[in-house]
Amino acid sequence: MDLLGFYPLFYVPHFGSAWLMGLTGAIHIMASHTSVGAALLFAFLAYKAQKENRTDLYDYMKRYGMFLLIFSYVIGSITGPGIWYTATAASPRGISALIHNFVWVWATEWVFFVYEVLGVFALIYFIDKIDRKTHLKLTYTFAIASVGTLALIIGIISFMMWPGTEAYYTTGSASDAFFGINTFPHMFLRIGFMIMMSGIIGMIISSAMRKENKELSEELTQKMGWVSLLGGFVTVFFFMWYVNTLPLNAHTLLGMQKDAIVMNRIILAILFSIYFSIAIIKPQWVTRTLAITMMLVIGIVGVWPGEKLRETMRKPWVAGQYVYSDQIIGRDVPGKGIKEETSRLAEKGLLKLDPWIPDRLRTITPENKLEVGKLLTRIACSNCHSLEKDGLYRPLMPLAGPMGEEGIKDYMKNVIGTGSIPYMPKISLPDEEYDAMAAYIASQAK
Amino acid sequence: MDATFINAMKDAAGVPFYPVVFQGLYVLTWALHAAFVLLALGSMGLSIYGSTRQKSDPYWKILTPHLIMTGKISISVLIVLGVAPLLFTQVIYDSGWYVANTLSGAWVFIFIYALIIGYTMYYWYQYANKKGSSSNTLIGIVSFAILVFCGVLMHNFAVEAISPTQWMDWYAPNGVVDNSGWNIHIDLIRLGFMVSLMIPVTGIFMQNYSRFLSTRQDFEPKYLEFVKNLGTKMAVIGLIISAALFAVWMLKENLLLHPLSLATVASVVILLMLAISNKNSYLTTGVLVIVALLISGVRELIRYNIMSGIGYDLYGYHMNLEWETIAMFLLTFVVLGFTGIAFILTMAWKVGKTEGVYTATEGSAVSRLANTSLAIFVLWIVVYFGWGMVALFKNTL
Ligand code: HEM
Repeated sequence: MDLLGFYPLFYVPHFGSAWLMGLTGAIHIMASHTSVGAALLFAFLAYKAQKENRTDLYDYMKRYGMFLLIFSYVIGSITGPGIWYTATAASPRGISALIHNFVWVWATEWVFFVYEVLGVFALIYFIDKIDRKTHLKLTYTFAIASVGTLALIIGIISFMMWPGTEAYYTTGSASDAFFGINTFPHMFLRIGFMIMMSGIIGMIISSAMRKENKELSEELTQKMGWVSLLGGFVTVFFFMWYVNTLPLNAHTLLGMQKDAIVMNRIILAILFSIYFSIAIIKPQWVTRTLAITMMLVIGIVGVWPGEKLRETMRKPWVAGQYVYSDQIIGRDVPGKGIKEETSRLAEKGLLKLDPWIPDRLRTITPENKLEVGKLLTRIACSNCHSLEKDGLYRPLMPLAGPMGEEGIKDYMKNVIGTGSIPYMPKISLPDEEYDAMAAYIASQAK
Repeated sequence: MDATFINAMKDAAGVPFYPVVFQGLYVLTWALHAAFVLLALGSMGLSIYGSTRQKSDPYWKILTPHLIMTGKISISVLIVLGVAPLLFTQVIYDSGWYVANTLSGAWVFIFIYALIIGYTMYYWYQYANKKGSSSNTLIGIVSFAILVFCGVLMHNFAVEAISPTQWMDWYAPNGVVDNSGWNIHIDLIRLGFMVSLMIPVTGIFMQNYSRFLSTRQDFEPKYLEFVKNLGTKMAVIGLIISAALFAVWMLKENLLLHPLSLATVASVVILLMLAISNKNSYLTTGVLVIVALLISGVRELIRYNIMSGIGYDLYGYHMNLEWETIAMFLLTFVVLGFTGIAFILTMAWKVGKTEGVYTATEGSAVSRLANTSLAIFVLWIVVYFGWGMVALFKNTL
């Protein structure tokens, strides 16, 4: 039997499965970036504490550490596999492509994770149980291990956008796939953000210490203000470099939203510069409520749109610019012996090649036409569009409905079917499959 | 459903190394995951009982918070250890794993958030217990129930992944496609067996606990005796229950007389005798590790039989050898991983044995391991950037 390796489709009405990923992803970014930033911060604090014999700093580290355990080592370490799990349900072939290219990189990262998880408990619970010097060495290794996890994942998430050079397609080598031109700018962009997050969280902890020790609380808030300011600067600086290392399709999409993005970033930069300056000049103004509010602001107004943007810019691909978001392989990768699938689909159609089509739907009849159309539309479009009229995720019906049944068919065949829209996958199918989809979409858009 | 279908679902990129190596790593790392799942659930479950006894019983007053702490660390460890088999299973059995995840997509999402809530509540439970709050037991029970539920979901994915002949019926019952991702399928005996192991694992842990602390002056010998006896009782009763469930499971799978399951039974008998005599609980733990590996092997045997039975050609998976990244993994795993973990564990051992502050003197094992680890970590980062720059120069200039 001639079949392609598709998977069952998991469909989330109204929101789209990508939305589930986005939510988990945004939470994970906050927690994981704080975790790496805090590891760097701890190394700095432990160094200072040891050198200047500041025992009060250990106290701060301990409190910070308790927060970190829950925020990063409960929420962060669960949402990590969590993104992976939800991405698996939403885009099995995208994840599969990443796994089969990078399994050893991930396995290496896992070694660092194990070290981190054991290390964080030792770091926090042994603060007053081992000598300072050993503790300091532990914090150093912990910091490097945390940065190591970033160093290892960054090439993989950069590859999701694109391999960064053409070499990968001919060699198929994971090393060429991993180190693309946007790997390092992306890495330093994130390190900046991590440092900033560690300062933002640090202010929550320091402002909560006011009652017991006003002086220390203000000193630390001030320090955290500097830390955040430094992190913020690094982030903005590398963001500009990062944008220049993106592929063409990303720029097309970026261009469409550029003004809004630039506006959002400028407002955020001003808002947070003011906040950090207040922390430095008037630390007593930074209350716990303010500190927590600002953390939520950065999450909801900074991270969430940022991640949505990164997700959008990747379109029409989900991995290495060879797996489309609708799970079809869209180009050859000779280095791995991978063959593109769009031409076979154009000839034989999804109904013949997708193993998950029930037999009774493999042949279109007047009775099952709408049902087939619905299934095909879900398979081909739902990774990027809600199919409900009032859906929240780029709803398809308001976009396609006005074209009318003939117009939809025409558009699919001559525009999407030829791959003419840079951000949509090329979906070329036999005529009768377009017919069924157009009939279904038109019936729903009414 | 025939073989073309399942072989067609192999990833087009192929596997980057010999499938049998992934299979071995899978068996090894799943055993580690399982060990901590069982220790987490067992110590947590027992701590809940302890939380009802600690007001009147001084021994339980000491033991309960220790069990809670053990559970807390074990959950973190089980999560991180779970990542490895998660990785390896989808390299060689991608079809099964991805089908399970798409068929149960909604449960996948729920699993993650249930785990977050369950584990966060666990911290709350620890806090409430420390403060002597009266609702601590209730919080503990809810948290425990949620975490057990997570285990049930994990089990669901495992069962679905090895039921290829039913996939189509589950995805499209009577030919009508259901994309909602609400499939759930439980194999009660398999699940019961897996979960029952938490009793003996925790029992043997308590034997170790008692032995480890016996060198400390600040723990009363009578208390340690109490913990040890409780541990022995749990180990013995638990092993008998688990062994019975194992036999039923193997009978059902038609594997009772397979060498691997016979070896498992034999090791369980040895384990039982060692646990009863409790002369050296560290040795018992060594045998427990072997039993865990054997059980993990039996799981893999079941899967391999089912998949190859319908024509899945595991060892014929198209291969694209990847030397650079496998070298990175092996070196990191063996050199950095072993040294680093040895550093933390040796330190923890010393801290546990010491009353007050432990000082690692110059030249002591801890101090040497600390220095070596630090040097390896620094070297690792240097190599990473060096490698990255070489790759980039090669491909861009
Ligand atoms: C409280 C949380 C968890 C519990 C109680 C738990 C429990 C279990 C159990 C009982 C099984 C065996 C299922 C069977 O064979 O029937 C299992 C398998 C597994 N678990 Fe977990 N688990 C938990 C969290 C996790 C997490 C967070 C991960 C990933 C990071 C994970 C990864 C795995 C993997 C990969 C398997 C093997 C699945 C297969 O081979 O099909 N687990 N787990």
